[in-house]
Amino acid sequence: MTSSPATSQAAGTDGRTVLRQLTRVLGAVIVLLVIWRVATVGLAEGYPASFWISQALNGLVLGGVYALVALGYTLVYGILFMINFAHGEVMMIGGITGYFALQFALARGWMEGPWAVVVFALLLIMVIGMAASVLIGVALERLAYRPLRQAPRLVPLISAIGASLFLQYSVLLIFGVSPHSYRKPALISGGLRLGDVFIPYTGAIIFITSILLMLALYFIIQRTKLGRAMRAVAEDRATASLMGVDVNAVIVVTFMLGSALAGAAGVMLGFHNTVVKFNSGFIPGLKAFTAAVLGGIGNIPGAMFGALILGLIEAIGPSALGIPTEYKDVIAFSLLVLILIFRPTGLFGEVLSEKKA
Amino acid sequence: MAKQLKFFSLVLVAALMLAACVAPQPAAEAPAEEAPMEEAADMSGKVMVASGGMIRIGGSFALTGPIPDPGLNIRHGAELAIDDLNAMGGLEGFMFELVAEDGACDGTQGTNVGNKFAADETIVAVTGGTCSGETFGLMPILQEARIPFVSPSATNPDVTSADCDVCNRVALSDALQGATDANFVVNDLGLTKVAVVHDNSDYGKGLAEIFQNNVTGLGGEVSSFEGVQVGDTDFRAMLARVGADAPQVIFFGGYSTEAGLVAQQMTETPGLEDTAFMSVDGAYTQQFLEAAGDAAEGAYVSFVAGADSEDMNAEFDAKYMEKYGVSPDDLGPFHSQSYDSVKLIAAAIAAVATVDDSGNLVIDREELLSAIRSLDAFEGLTGTIKCDSMGECGAGGVQIFQVSEGDFEQVSGFGME
Repeated sequence: MTSSPATSQAAGTDGRTVLRQLTRVLGAVIVLLVIWRVATVGLAEGYPASFWISQALNGLVLGGVYALVALGYTLVYGILFMINFAHGEVMMIGGITGYFALQFALARGWMEGPWAVVVFALLLIMVIGMAASVLIGVALERLAYRPLRQAPRLVPLISAIGASLFLQYSVLLIFGVSPHSYRKPALISGGLRLGDVFIPYTGAIIFITSILLMLALYFIIQRTKLGRAMRAVAEDRATASLMGVDVNAVIVVTFMLGSALAGAAGVMLGFHNTVVKFNSGFIPGLKAFTAAVLGGIGNIPGAMFGALILGLIEAIGPSALGIPTEYKDVIAFSLLVLILIFRPTGLFGEVLSEKKA
Repeated sequence: MAKQLKFFSLVLVAALMLAACVAPQPAAEAPAEEAPMEEAADMSGKVMVASGGMIRIGGSFALTGPIPDPGLNIRHGAELAIDDLNAMGGLEGFMFELVAEDGACDGTQGTNVGNKFAADETIVAVTGGTCSGETFGLMPILQEARIPFVSPSATNPDVTSADCDVCNRVALSDALQGATDANFVVNDLGLTKVAVVHDNSDYGKGLAEIFQNNVTGLGGEVSSFEGVQVGDTDFRAMLARVGADAPQVIFFGGYSTEAGLVAQQMTETPGLEDTAFMSVDGAYTQQFLEAAGDAAEGAYVSFVAGADSEDMNAEFDAKYMEKYGVSPDDLGPFHSQSYDSVKLIAAAIAAVATVDDSGNLVIDREELLSAIRSLDAFEGLTGTIKCDSMGECGAGGVQIFQVSEGDFEQVSGFGME
């Protein structure tokens, strides 16, 4: 990539066509290199099929979590055209609150009760975590973003980064630096063993719950009056307002929906990985953002599939490419760079109007 | 209305930025009032404490980062040493003061702390850093500034070297810990197929490499050598890969939380159900037990222990309980080393400090450097403290514990005959 977009623009349409073709060739070369590497190194290791299945399942669980968080990015982007970089922290708040709700439940012995009580308590913990996230999400919108709605696009972005740090270090000062450990109740400890494949119950719960929540969200957006209002605001805020849609209310609801999903992800991740602390939303937040971009930011099914694809690539990638697993983040973020270069609109393109491009 | 909103948002942004700047070092104390200093022309290379001033010892502690509890514990140990020194009348009527900073167990933050100390002419010596990576950040700056440091807990072999005359430590080097652990695993447990995992910190990776070399040297087989990141919480993909080789034991070089999560998640990994788990002094904490949960049971953890004298430690523990309301062992190991490290610094200062005609205390920096390494042996909490010419001052040996019913129980090593 020797010629920058600026110089190619100056050279006129011909330059741009050449550049586009060069990018395509480069993309093809990278894909071929990856395939060659997988064929010669990754598959040559001779891992059994059960290994790849296990890794794929790990990836789907990761992907489910990323999807719930990525939806928050994509919903907000679809309506406000801004990236809510504090969204990972909204998820972390859900996880931290879930921890305290769990301590409350443990202290009352609900976690050793009959399974109905345990399930009820777990649902309650999840709802409490989601509620805390919703609270924070709405506060973010009201305090950090709404006053800046007419400002240039970069300004709310800076405000979001500030809000992210503010939330992280507030949690650090209030709840301390040490990680908090979730205690799994016996009901969801362990997992299912199918031959050489192990499926942790928490992983299965994450995947199934995230699919259900995504279906619910899709239903809300496509089939309800509220969803229609959201789509209208995303299409054209001014016109929607003229048609009698309360734009501010729709934006608040959008933040609530996104934050609720993130809160659910935070609590479930807490049970799955058992540790939460002040910065545990940061990296998942970035990954979910990557997933949203991968699927096409602003595109709701795109965020879901982008997240599942990212999760799979992260889990399978290091073994398939025959590189150390510590490079899983490198793979994820390289993917972000490649997507931005070769397909800035994401795998599933942007389905909304062209206005925001 | 719009104006009001604009103003409000500006205030909010300012507040956020302020929070972002201030928050990362919540535990770092603002330095107390500066000791009055009148620099005379011939005072280069010397620290002068004006009559009535304090002898200021810097402290780099991992108060945030992966091991905040042990970091706080080490800080408490240093504070108690300062209390005891001052209770015994200080030095020639001058009192000691600890200037605590947050090294965050991190090289970058270690560099920041080092720069802070180097820029402060009243800092006589430094206790710390807590972690090896943090200490590698401090090292070149303090070397340049001629400020000696004594680390209570940085165990990477390269913390001391022939080229560094300011580098000292009370903790024992990981060269010893890695060798002892390898010997324990291969010869005592008879496990020869070993997977080594580390957290990519200077400490964890360094120790993992020493362990790996020793295992190979003893005829064992290292089936995989994998890295993770400090702060990761999902190790399933890495463990699935380790499990494909079905090792007999996983050795983890790193800190408590990651060690606990690896121990916990490996029980869910095909191929690792019957695999033993061993970690190192970074995981010899309550935090490890908490993060691992039930999976901690049966795990091995090694620790570079001092040759503790029971009476002195009982007295120390009582003081600790009284001042902080918690038993030192609940927060982490290395509090005794931290106490000794400050005591060592104070003894060296006492050996070279002189009082000039106007009643100021004068400490020559170069003399202090050599004094630390030529001090007579003294009895500390962790045994007989005596530095060699490389700056290795610690006593004791490596102990190996096994978790049994939620507690560490020594099974081998130093002090068990």
